[in-house]
Amino acid sequence: MGTDRYAYLSRLRDVDPAPKIVLSFAILLGAVVLPSAAAGLFTLLSAFLLNVFSGGQKPRVVGHFLKIPLVFLLIGALTIVLRPLPQEAQAIWSGMLLGRWRWGITAEQLRLGLTVFCRAMGAVSAMYFLSLNTPMTDLATALRRLHVPKLFVELMELIYRFIFLLSDAARQIHIAQDSRLGYEGFRRSMHSMGALVSMVFLRALRRGDRVFAALESRGYTGSLDTLPKPYAPGRWLYALCPVLLAGQAVIFYWERRWLS
Amino acid sequence: MKRSLTIRAAAVFAAVSLLSVNASAMHIAEGMLPVPWAFGWMAVCVPFVAAGFFSIKKKVALDAKAKVLLAMCGAFAFVLSALKIPSVFGSCSHPTGVGLGAILFGPTATTVLGLIVLLFQALLLAHGGLTTLGANVFSMAIVGPFVSYGVYAGLKKAGCKSAIAVFFAAALGDLMTYVVTSIQLGVVYGNFAEYLSIFALTQIPLAIAEGLLTVVVFNVLEKYSKEELRALHVL
Repeated sequence: MGTDRYAYLSRLRDVDPAPKIVLSFAILLGAVVLPSAAAGLFTLLSAFLLNVFSGGQKPRVVGHFLKIPLVFLLIGALTIVLRPLPQEAQAIWSGMLLGRWRWGITAEQLRLGLTVFCRAMGAVSAMYFLSLNTPMTDLATALRRLHVPKLFVELMELIYRFIFLLSDAARQIHIAQDSRLGYEGFRRSMHSMGALVSMVFLRALRRGDRVFAALESRGYTGSLDTLPKPYAPGRWLYALCPVLLAGQAVIFYWERRWLS
Repeated sequence: MKRSLTIRAAAVFAAVSLLSVNASAMHIAEGMLPVPWAFGWMAVCVPFVAAGFFSIKKKVALDAKAKVLLAMCGAFAFVLSALKIPSVFGSCSHPTGVGLGAILFGPTATTVLGLIVLLFQALLLAHGGLTTLGANVFSMAIVGPFVSYGVYAGLKKAGCKSAIAVFFAAALGDLMTYVVTSIQLGVVYGNFAEYLSIFALTQIPLAIAEGLLTVVVFNVLEKYSKEELRALHVL
């Protein structure tokens, strides 16, 4: 499912999740705080290289994941760049919409749009450093150590496990319906989809019953405790934080000087 | 003025349908919000999440099974949001599931489950993001479910047929989610009207589709699983 498959294959799989979380959040925040396109691109590049060289992910895989939010970010940037303009305003390019309304791009809007786009791509890339190298189970252990309420972490772990059960069920039902032409036309699709959703829901409830019976018969008293496995400490990741943050700051400063 | 808005909306719609975006339009992507807004939305969410958390804690203390059932419901919400529902113009989109969730599990529990589901979506599927988690939780796990639940309870009390109540609860919950998302983006970049017109034109058909789907789901559930539904209300 998504990034998860690759997280288990990562070379950083056995490294303590805490430094991975710290590094990922540090550069993520750095990218979001600095209003600079170049710092965003720097973050994008450095997280990409970290994923490829220390995480051992294929560049194609990381590239594929970076493409996922691309469409939405492009639309978001486009609505910032392309705006209705007053008649007299200066613009790089402008056109008349249906002969009456003036739309166009101003230098200022273009800069803002580019900055938002690059900043967001940097942030996404930083998040991928966490999610492509840390399986969800390790993340839950780390959250428990960070004193996130126990009930919340347990719900997370259970939901994570059940997602796979239910999406399997949903996929099977979908294939069965589709192979019997269940998705021909709008009315029929609605009917099939409704049946699918309600059946998956019923299965979820019944499965929940059975899981609870199984837990109870093995002495479940209200919480699932597991021991964390031994991790490699990964201190070098902490050391990398100030280096990358400084890199972002320097690039931001240069961009400022170059622009003014 | 009115005509200029509709024409503007039509132009934006044409541009958008060319790029055929709707898969992750409901989530605000990572990095789209500046830091003060991102953390501001998180702060707004805290009381709701805390209230939801304590209500779940109470339920779990009463009955240990509630935890497993709630987790199943959360996983169900994740799987639901990954499905593609058919829409009127032949396009497809993902249901938000806020209406169904709010009616089945109540709005407060939905908030906590929604938070976890959105976290997984951000990390596993890159829908949404970590810094924008607060804004997304507010639109999808707080406003959507509360609107849905309010509409559902209100129409039921007014004596409407349950199919009608379910339809409007799901459709309006879905729509309000989008409206809140456009406001969240519009406030920052000062282009409400554009976001709203994009969302209005692409999302109204989808909201209707989600409403219809939820009614179908409800009919099946009512027919085959009265017992489970009753158990859930105890939950």
